[in-house]
Amino acid sequence: MKLVMKSRSMRSSQSSVVTNKETKMEKKPEWLKVSYNKAAVDEVSGIMARLKLNTVCKEANCPNLGECYKKRTATFMIMGNICTRHCRFCNVTSGVVKQVDPNEPLHLAEAVKELDLKHVVITSVTRVDLQDGGARHFANTIRAVRKLNPEVSIEVLIPDLKGVNDHLDIIIEASPEVINHNVETVQALYSQVRPEANYEQSMHVLDYVKTQAPHIKTKTGIMVGLGEADEQVYQVMDDSLKVGCDIFTIGQYLRPSSNHIEVKEYVKPEKFAAYKKIGEAKGFHFITSSPLVRSSYRAEEALDI
Amino acid sequence: MKKNICMPKLSEKMESGVLAAWNKEVGEKVENGEVLFEIETEKVVSEVESQESGILEAVYFEAGDEIKVDEIIAVISCD
Repeated sequence: MKLVMKSRSMRSSQSSVVTNKETKMEKKPEWLKVSYNKAAVDEVSGIMARLKLNTVCKEANCPNLGECYKKRTATFMIMGNICTRHCRFCNVTSGVVKQVDPNEPLHLAEAVKELDLKHVVITSVTRVDLQDGGARHFANTIRAVRKLNPEVSIEVLIPDLKGVNDHLDIIIEASPEVINHNVETVQALYSQVRPEANYEQSMHVLDYVKTQAPHIKTKTGIMVGLGEADEQVYQVMDDSLKVGCDIFTIGQYLRPSSNHIEVKEYVKPEKFAAYKKIGEAKGFHFITSSPLVRSSYRAEEALDI
Repeated sequence: MKKNICMPKLSEKMESGVLAAWNKEVGEKVENGEVLFEIETEKVVSEVESQESGILEAVYFEAGDEIKVDEIIAVISCD
């Protein structure tokens, strides 16, 4: 039996107690459990704050933050923490963006060194306000990381850059090991989930990168639990394979707040395992599929193949 | 020495969380790094590891309670 002691001195704090019924907090299935160690989280957060860096782990309220920070790894988010898009699944703040910090590439390279990362994943907010969509800043960051950490493998998770080939070329020329661009969901749900994006344009990004630079591994991923049908998931797999995509990730969509698009279904772990099997049979070099998979979660494992 | 255990802020925008379970009972020994309690937030359930070693002396909330960030939820009598 659990003992609960409510002392007189604590009475004032009881006003904030609301029963579960009143909170509207949805009960999560048992497989959506993560660990949290404050000391580990504070340590990595401190490094990021000192070097004026953002992580998508924090900005997206990633469920794996506790695990990744404890392992002293993180996914960097460059060009600020405010996005010019308004995707309905994403926790990153939308609004008026700030000027890009020219020292960010160097600071990020320093953080990679301090954390002693063997594989680094760098993503960004979408910056439609920048003429090149931020491609040069991505390239500068890749080069700065490479210069200070010659052994590290680099993965960039890029926005669609409006599908402009010249801008994609800038990133390709910087030669990261992996270029990831997430299609995020099945084509039929784009208008609800990514209203400002375009499925064909995202496929074009993957296609163009692979055509121009076959040595760079390409990667994409989707969230499930948004109401998609199995056939639609298989279609994304087929479309991705058609454009030569090497690595595919599937994870559960988790709603950041009641202002975001609803979770239609908590997909069971067995279903994720089935997706993985089908993806492997279809021909992906590496596919990772489980409820808590995010596109950069344990990303280095895909390079061990 | 007694240490207050507070409701952690598990994410930037978190204002409160629902206590999903206590993993230790009052009077039980707790080691640094052991899971002390579970918090249900918007996305997942977090197993919160203790930062202290000692005896769990008191808990002030029960499973199902929604608790504001930084509120004292328990006391550990440290080694």
